[in-house]
Amino acid sequence: MKQVKYTITRTSIQRLLRHRALAMLTLTAALVLSLAPSRFLAPAWADDPMSVVQTTVNRALSVLRDNQTPLAQRQDKLRQIVSATFDFTEMAKSALGYHWKQITAAQQQEFTTAFVAFIEDSYLSKINDYRGQQVAFLTARNDGPQYAQVNTNIIEPNGQDPIHVNYLLLQKDTTWKIYDVTVDAISIIANYRNQFNRVMNNKGYDTLISDLKSKQAALAARLANH
Amino acid sequence: MRSGSKQIERTSARWMMLASSLLAVISFATPALSQATNPQTPPAESQAVTPDPLSGFNEPMFTFNLKLDDWVLRPVASGYSVIAPQPVREGVGRFFDNVRVIPRFANNLFQLKLVEAGGELARFGINSTLGLVGFFDPADELFGLQEHNNDFGLTIRYYNIPTGPYLMLPFFGPSTIGDTVGLVADGAMNPLDYLVPTWISVTVATGQRAVEAVNYRSLHMNQFEEADRYAIDLYGAVQDAYLQTRAHKVKELHEEQW
Repeated sequence: MKQVKYTITRTSIQRLLRHRALAMLTLTAALVLSLAPSRFLAPAWADDPMSVVQTTVNRALSVLRDNQTPLAQRQDKLRQIVSATFDFTEMAKSALGYHWKQITAAQQQEFTTAFVAFIEDSYLSKINDYRGQQVAFLTARNDGPQYAQVNTNIIEPNGQDPIHVNYLLLQKDTTWKIYDVTVDAISIIANYRNQFNRVMNNKGYDTLISDLKSKQAALAARLANH
Repeated sequence: MRSGSKQIERTSARWMMLASSLLAVISFATPALSQATNPQTPPAESQAVTPDPLSGFNEPMFTFNLKLDDWVLRPVASGYSVIAPQPVREGVGRFFDNVRVIPRFANNLFQLKLVEAGGELARFGINSTLGLVGFFDPADELFGLQEHNNDFGLTIRYYNIPTGPYLMLPFFGPSTIGDTVGLVADGAMNPLDYLVPTWISVTVATGQRAVEAVNYRSLHMNQFEEADRYAIDLYGAVQDAYLQTRAHKVKELHEEQW
């Protein structure tokens, strides 16, 4: 009796294992096949998220390092580089969250312009903060067909912990554009969304736009002074 | 005799609290395996906003903390940073970090991270001796043993227990209801509490906390000025940064395990 029971258990385990091995094999094959088009068969000429980020960051770094050229020219250059790969309209829309649909088209336009100027000047302020940091490009990952994430580290020159900076990209037509940046896992756009949501709920659009403009003016003045 | 039995009573009450909160964690624990990866929503349609039911309490507390920083913490930290050079202050920071080994060890254990928990013990042994009571970190630099920071607020999140609304604590800064429970639970793990009368341990803990705060602030002198420069609403910026950081930390804890 005992012997029989043992055999049954043993064969059923063996069968199970065989089935599992087969299932695993099928699953792996299916996975490889489904991933193949995007990962391995992508045309070599197409812009991929990693090279978009690499090009942008390296160009920005060369402007940051170049302290021969006058500051105003470097700022202009940086502005061009940034506006070529950042999807500012998408960023503005996302940062306002559900309030975006509640304001008029004219206000949407006004807000986008103010927000773009603010973000650009925040980015330009980095010229003054640059202390010889290096950038390490780590990995690129596709999140669905249209979305991608590129992970980088900013290496501090004095051996401090690196800052993790990830770029979130969205494919529009054929080009990849950056729509959000995370710094040490904090999404910048989500952070502004929380701030804007509070101002919209507590004080309304007029306060938001005037606060945004005055902060941007302060940043611009600080930039001009350096 | 009387005060002795009172002491025991208080101590056992503390342990009961700790034990019952642990029990709650274990009995409510849902397997952490089913951590679904966030499906990416189109960025412009992402409309998530953070609820803040306690904002009536939080906002005045935030103002209080800013004023406290402005009037006390920043001036003191600024003076202190003139006296003590940066390497010394970094050493002091490491010293305090080393002292808080028990909550790190215990919470890694609560999350069944046995390697990390053991690593914390080894780090404490190495850094307390070779590292001159924790002023240096040879455990990392010579032995490659990195710190695995952990706390009870993270344990609560680790087992998918809701951490409750955002809460701005006076002196301590941003938190949530769950993280505040965690702060108390981690605080109850201080061995000093069980060895000396309460008034001594409270005084020591407060003093330690104050020195630690001054030391930390001296290493981050421009933190608030910088944050305010890029913020439209500083309260909202701090709130979101805190909650995103905590959420990410738990995601990391899940990922390193499986």
